[in-house]
Amino acid sequence: MSRVIGIDLGTTNSCVAVVENGQPTVIPNSGGYKTTPSMFGISQDGKRLVGHLAKRQAITNARNTVFASKRLIGRRFDDPEVQKSIDLCPYEIVRGPNEDPRIKVGGKTFTCPEIAGIILREMKRVAEEYLSETVQEAVITVPAYFNDTQRQCTKDAGKIAGLEVLRIINEPTAAALAYGMSRQGDEKIAVYDLGGGTFDISILEMSDGVVEVLATSGNTFLGGEDFDRRIVQHLVEWFEENEGMDLRSDTMALQRLKDASEKAKCDLSMRDVVEINLPFIASDSEGPRHLNYELTRETLEGLVHDVVEGTLKSVEQCCVDAGVTPADIDQVVLVGGQTRMPLVQRRVTEHFGKRPHKGVNPDEVVGLGAAVQAAALLDSDNDMLLLDVTPLSLGIGTYGGHFARLIDRNTTVPVSKGHIFTTTRDDQSAVKIRVLQGESDMAAENDLLGEFVLSGIRPAPKGEPEIEVSFDIDANGIVSVSARDLATGKEQSITVSSTGTLSDDEIDEIINEHDLYEVQLKD
Amino acid sequence: MGVDSVDNPMNRVVALAANCDATQLKLTAAEGYLLSRIDGKTPLRLLREIGGIPPSNVDECVELWLDDGVIEVVAGKPEAKPKGASASAATTATAATAATAADKMDAGESDGQPFPPPIDESMLDERLDISLDIQRRILEFEAGLGRPYHTLLNIDVGSQPKTVKRAYFKLSKEFHPDRFFRKQIGDYGARLNRIFKKILEAHEMLSDPELRGVENQAAASDTFVEPPQQPTSRAALSGPAKTAPDKNAPPEATPAAAPKRPLTKLERLRQRMPFKINHAAIAERRARAAEIFKAAEYSQRAGRLKEAEANIRIAITFDPSRSEFKEALGSLRIEAAGARAAKLMAASSDRMPDSELREVLTLLEDVLPYRPHDPDLNERAARVCLKLGKLDDAAEYAETLIARTPEVATYHSMLGKIERERGNSDEAMSAFETALKYDEEDVDARRAIASMRIGARDAARGGRS
Repeated sequence: MSRVIGIDLGTTNSCVAVVENGQPTVIPNSGGYKTTPSMFGISQDGKRLVGHLAKRQAITNARNTVFASKRLIGRRFDDPEVQKSIDLCPYEIVRGPNEDPRIKVGGKTFTCPEIAGIILREMKRVAEEYLSETVQEAVITVPAYFNDTQRQCTKDAGKIAGLEVLRIINEPTAAALAYGMSRQGDEKIAVYDLGGGTFDISILEMSDGVVEVLATSGNTFLGGEDFDRRIVQHLVEWFEENEGMDLRSDTMALQRLKDASEKAKCDLSMRDVVEINLPFIASDSEGPRHLNYELTRETLEGLVHDVVEGTLKSVEQCCVDAGVTPADIDQVVLVGGQTRMPLVQRRVTEHFGKRPHKGVNPDEVVGLGAAVQAAALLDSDNDMLLLDVTPLSLGIGTYGGHFARLIDRNTTVPVSKGHIFTTTRDDQSAVKIRVLQGESDMAAENDLLGEFVLSGIRPAPKGEPEIEVSFDIDANGIVSVSARDLATGKEQSITVSSTGTLSDDEIDEIINEHDLYEVQLKD
Repeated sequence: MGVDSVDNPMNRVVALAANCDATQLKLTAAEGYLLSRIDGKTPLRLLREIGGIPPSNVDECVELWLDDGVIEVVAGKPEAKPKGASASAATTATAATAATAADKMDAGESDGQPFPPPIDESMLDERLDISLDIQRRILEFEAGLGRPYHTLLNIDVGSQPKTVKRAYFKLSKEFHPDRFFRKQIGDYGARLNRIFKKILEAHEMLSDPELRGVENQAAASDTFVEPPQQPTSRAALSGPAKTAPDKNAPPEATPAAAPKRPLTKLERLRQRMPFKINHAAIAERRARAAEIFKAAEYSQRAGRLKEAEANIRIAITFDPSRSEFKEALGSLRIEAAGARAAKLMAASSDRMPDSELREVLTLLEDVLPYRPHDPDLNERAARVCLKLGKLDDAAEYAETLIARTPEVATYHSMLGKIERERGNSDEAMSAFETALKYDEEDVDARRAIASMRIGARDAARGGRS
């Protein structure tokens, strides 16, 4: 039987792992690195580059190097997040025929699942090289807030990479699995995941290899980049005060400031003070100006203090949702590079009253967890069981544009839930059941997954007929919805199939094209 | 229940019909539990006591099942021969203890409950990827899914949440469909789904503090919360169906969330669960509302009334339950509008132009909903309405005043004036007379009565001439 790998498909870096002799292990790439940049580029002479090779030429070939495409996957072109990326990214983002964002590099347009597929294919290749055998199946992680379309697009990306995706699991859940692999006894753990662009907090309970998600909360617009932005803002203000020049409209200078800020931020996790030195940052009639500033850890902490406090607010909310107090948490697991910051570690320690768990690497733990889940599913020796949950609430649209929630988010699957509904008009002979997914109380603000009509209701005054609507989610997350008229026993149902932004034909086309490309490489 | 005659229907013994496949029945938890206790030995009298189900429901169930051929009366051999009341009483006691204290699933056999229930060996399939032992275990567990939740999880009634969780995890590890991922398991996949969902439900019910109370109470008092579903209720529902279906009824109408059938207690609990109130979110909204309200109070003190009003409105939107917010909005508007109205009224003379009177009325109407019984406001409103010729409104205000404080003469004389304007001279006269009754000195009333009498006389004269 061929091996199944776990892949953490990250915004900035990706990581692949496998369970070997009962132990989850990160697979290093040919350069010896345990993580691979989630970057793809087309060089000046038309070569396709992935990972470190793509990153190395990113500065000189910015227009043809794709990074952070995870922010775009599964979204619509008009999504504010996509519009933000258009402003920030040096590569070109265009509107695709399915209203999806597409990326134009090297004179060719790529869809987002295709870019993700290229990165997954690279991870697959890394694993195959290491294991000396072909790999066909994988478990892939996504952020907890990813909706159905984003998850489906990630699955499509796997397909494009030639992988069958056994499961898509949430990143914090994966981290908990990796942590729980080596633990016995009952524990409640909190996974504090502060990544580049988002913040996720999950509280899980584990006992004897069973892992249950109690609650998930987070902030999709809060992450390490906010830290960088604060530093940039501070530098711009300082420069204005000391040099009398406003750098805000100078995109080139801002990009340099952003890079320098990110680096300074990382350095300050190890040191107390760093020097930011940007010669020729700007010039005016008096000649060139240079930026030379000493940033202390104290100053940085002052700048981002409220951002960190903001994450703790989410932590509190999550504790309330899970029905626990911070003192009930036995272990805190930190995930994401930003959790290396001493301030974050200190505040988390203070909040929970205990030091975070030291045994996991925040960059690798998610990938390891994905491998653990892969083994748990297929390896009969593996004793782990993840009681996974639905990521978003499910329900139907009701009279007046409201959303009647039948299954709350974070409900353990498989699960069935039902409710009785009725008609809104006298002698109404049919009802339309609109299956929706989302967290808003207004139907229009949630995603429509499917709809069907139950007809043949016997004429009766409004409010009298009883229509039982049941939702059923199986262990693979497949949702089926049925409506039954209790008076006549008449029933209608659908199985909601999630759709990504690409049709099956489009995916096949992409796969064929990539196969051609593979052949070309070998020539 | 002291009668021990064989003829007594209570002594009838029922058993599962030979040709009936109990696994194919659609049963509620309580029904399944009852059915599991029908073993061909226990007389109906005992069944009525041990099932944890109200006796009347046991009778209904048994009758229904007899009609449906699910069970049959095992005639002629009442095994629990009434040797004496003591023997049956002992059995009852055992069963009752089992139900209330430690109803373990493996204890089932010892006190006569058939668990594990007999399974259909023909359903075992050697070709599958799961061992026959596990197949047997799955079939047995599935057949017993109708048992009470704590029996299902194999824990004591009233167990701590931690025990509930551990039992739930243990069974999850055994029956979660992921444990058999990609295995050839035939129709055991569907069985596992059913089992896991039931375990999940049991965990959910037993670990929710609110629901757990109900469940435990029910288990302890031997009245199971879910009475068996009666087919009669369903028949009644489909009864009053009208003919001539309306073809025009468009299908896009979505159903309204309104459960109609009188639901059983457990059904109600179950249905409430998906719509759980998010207390945390509400608490947050309330806290926000309180903060905003504080800001409003500050603005009010600082004299920024417009700003204060806007803030209180937001606070009310966030937390409509706090009556003091609404009161505060009322007094604020009185402060704002009332001040202006008072100013206008103070300056009021009979020569005040209608436009200003109308403004006064608007202000008063704005404020009155917050203080519907304020005598001062009502009186002003009545006067202004009278002046503006809005007599019906004026009368309403005056009547409000009189209803609250009937002993104030001026209110009656005001009503009199209004009625006179309306042309109801009899009502006007009686109102003025009432005014005089409370206050002989009421000038308005005296004058009015005098002039009305003169008027009446003149009218009479004019009529004669």
